[in-house]
Amino acid sequence: MIKVNNLTKVFASRGKPVRAVDDVSTQVNKGEVVVIIGPSGSGKSTFLRCLNGLEAFDDGQVIIDGVDLGDSKTNINTVRREVGMVFQHFNLFPHKTVLENVTLAQRVVRKRKADEAENKAMALLTKVGIAEKAHEYPSRLSGGQQQRVAIARALAMDPKVMLFDEPTSALDPEMVGEVLEVMQQLAREGMTMAVVTHEMGFAREVAQRVLFMDAGKILEDAPPAEFFTAPREPRAQTFLKQVL
Amino acid sequence: MPLKRHQAQWPWHALLGLILLAMAVGLWIATKRVNYEWRWERVPQYFFYQDERAQSAPLAGVVSQIRPDGAYSRVDIKPADGGAPAAVAVETETLKVKAGDTVAEGDEIGAQRHWQIGPLTKGLWVTIWISFVSGFFGLAIGLVAGLCRLSPNPTLRGLAVFYIELIRGTPLLVQIFIFYFFIGTVLNLDRIVAGVGALALFVGAYTAEIIRAGIQSIAKGQTEAARSLGMTAAETMLHIVLPQALKRVLPPLAGQFISLIKDSSLVSVIAITDLTKSGREIITSSFATFEIWFTVALLYLVVTSLLSQLLFWLERRFARSD
Ligand SMILES: Nc1ncnc2c1ncn2[C@@H]1O[C@H](COP(=O)(O)OP(=O)(O)O)[C@@H](O)[C@H]1O
Ligand SMILES: [Mg+2]
Repeated sequence: MIKVNNLTKVFASRGKPVRAVDDVSTQVNKGEVVVIIGPSGSGKSTFLRCLNGLEAFDDGQVIIDGVDLGDSKTNINTVRREVGMVFQHFNLFPHKTVLENVTLAQRVVRKRKADEAENKAMALLTKVGIAEKAHEYPSRLSGGQQQRVAIARALAMDPKVMLFDEPTSALDPEMVGEVLEVMQQLAREGMTMAVVTHEMGFAREVAQRVLFMDAGKILEDAPPAEFFTAPREPRAQTFLKQVL
Repeated sequence: MPLKRHQAQWPWHALLGLILLAMAVGLWIATKRVNYEWRWERVPQYFFYQDERAQSAPLAGVVSQIRPDGAYSRVDIKPADGGAPAAVAVETETLKVKAGDTVAEGDEIGAQRHWQIGPLTKGLWVTIWISFVSGFFGLAIGLVAGLCRLSPNPTLRGLAVFYIELIRGTPLLVQIFIFYFFIGTVLNLDRIVAGVGALALFVGAYTAEIIRAGIQSIAKGQTEAARSLGMTAAETMLHIVLPQALKRVLPPLAGQFISLIKDSSLVSVIAITDLTKSGREIITSSFATFEIWFTVALLYLVVTSLLSQLLFWLERRFARSD
């Protein structure tokens, strides 16, 4: 589903180039849930953002469902509708109601009719347990509720892949559970997911593979049982000691 | 003094009133000094006045009868030579004949009066519509220029920067002269078109900067969320960024348009009879210099404060989603 070959992204900030993603190769199969962990600044977000073209990469190849993002003939907008993304800070549209947040892209991008888009939106809002807030504005919702709306918004495009960039990091602790539950349900339904998170419990229970990133490189790629009990890399060992 | 004390406010309000009163008295004394004679009663006629049109007898004869008809009187004149009688309607108050009078052709029988719109009202209207039209075009120009200013295309960006810097770096008065005497002559423009054009270009440059700032103030996450849903850059701008940006820049935009109403007074230099020019023209015939300028100032103040009330109301309506 996702194939990444020798992906490199360099930021030229203040003269000193930062290799945020450094020659990374990996793949995510259909229906697989991959969790990416690693210290802050290790390039996790940048890696994820390269997967849907939010970040233009310098070298390498990203292939989503057979479509090469680097190919000049590829329309990035068509790829992006197939790749849902959930952000740390939700990024809901504050001038639209919850329902409009979920219907807008369906109407504009997928060209669905109003009632079709609304039915789909209500079904998804029900699924993430927030249907009763459909006509509220996002500012009236708690963080956990907003993030669930953001997930519904991404799902409304019928994506083949979902990317999550620290979806629970901006939440109060008591709201983390409700969001992880929705993600867990998605995984059970067979969604292909790449998740950057610090929720080790989620990684252990839901992920098929854990990727450990540091300084722009994937240092370890292992099933969670193996990674959490016997990490091979010394830097992964240090990291785990700090977070667990 | 951490404890909040409830102090009476009225002494301060009283002081404010006193200061304003002192200023008014000062003004009055100052005009006394220069022996200025106030003639406020002359002002209303420049808003509306009654135009009296004398009505005269169409033929020689005798007034056979006068029939009242509301505020009017119908005067029937029977010609001396026994031809067909004629009727003239005049306002009863202005009636100058009575039944049985003999009138010659052309004798004044009375008058009809009509309310006419005076020069101040006309000038006010010109100021309002010129501001409105140039504000409308200025907003359109500003929107386009603001978007170009943020365009990744260097040509568009360069043109926008050039336009904005050119307008913001030169006085409006000079721009109006250039627009009228140079561009207006070359393109053979009407003075109104030249005036509106100069104002629109002027307000457009400032609007462009306001809109640019508004767009840049919208968090990057909004664009990223929209783009990652598959929206194009244009769709993102239209549905996500611009609505939020425009709502945010409404207060500075309102300020800009209120300034425009005041700045529009400069078009009087190219002989457009707006409120200011009307005021100047009236003064040459009325000698009520102070009264007219005070009235003109008051009219500008009324228009600008009505507009700011309206925009305040709009802003409150847009605040629903906060
Ligand atoms: N827009 C940017 N401009 C310059 N440097 C950036 C930018 N985004 C990220 N970086 C740098 O790239 C590196 C990786 O960042 P990031 O992908 O956000 O890490 P993580 O998500 O793992 O915390 C960091 O050193 C960060 O400073
Ligand atoms: Mg990050």
